[in-house]
Amino acid sequence: MASVPASQQAESVEQKFQRLAAVWRAETGHFSSITRMSNHPAYQEIIHLGPAVVPSLLRDFQTEPEHWFVALRAITGAQPVSAADRGKIDKMAGAWLDWAKEHGYQW
Amino acid sequence: MVIDLEALFPGLSGTDYRVTSPSDRKYNCIAWAASDTRRWWWPDPPPGDEGYHWPSSVSNEETLVAFMAAFATLGYRPCAVEAIEPGWERIALYATANGAPTHAARQLPDGRWTSKLGRWQDIEHTLRALEGEAYGSIVQIMKRPAP
Repeated sequence: MASVPASQQAESVEQKFQRLAAVWRAETGHFSSITRMSNHPAYQEIIHLGPAVVPSLLRDFQTEPEHWFVALRAITGAQPVSAADRGKIDKMAGAWLDWAKEHGYQW
Repeated sequence: MVIDLEALFPGLSGTDYRVTSPSDRKYNCIAWAASDTRRWWWPDPPPGDEGYHWPSSVSNEETLVAFMAAFATLGYRPCAVEAIEPGWERIALYATANGAPTHAARQLPDGRWTSKLGRWQDIEHTLRALEGEAYGSIVQIMKRPAP
């Protein structure tokens, strides 16, 4: 059984998220399919970090909105995007940031 | 991040292609083929509902039939001819060997094609230059009268 490198064993959630996000961005940037993007192993690992990774996802939205919507929905069960804003990435990210503030998240 | 397009799309090598925009996460290839740079288009099969755009009259399925129906809402109809035809606009749909749609390209007035590469750039390219492991093959051409 392969062992986890010592550098990864000591990672914080934020560090693990940044590492996984970098891999995911490099390997899925050319995908249009939400399914292919979110089924990528790195994206799935991010989802499996659970509620602890939500602040990292929200902080990332504030740099430049990224396609963390599947992850946020999977982790929180929420869907705050209005019908009028479907597909508008900036508005979708804004809806999630508003939802997170209303639900007491801090990032 | 340095993107090696020819490593991902070997068919580009030796062809006349050029990058025509910076990377942009706000719209994808389907949207770009539909001339929409404001939204990300992709079906949202249940139990999803992640908030992406898909024509409300079209079934939320990742099938060629659904993608053809999506472009039919914009006036496109299936055709067998790839070559440029004055008075007509064309799009090309790509899918994997198992039929899963992956990509769409739009024909330009000079007969070349334009594609948005996911969250990355737009490029101009020859029609079949993006066929390969990443996007599969072109499976359907559609056309509509030009405005």
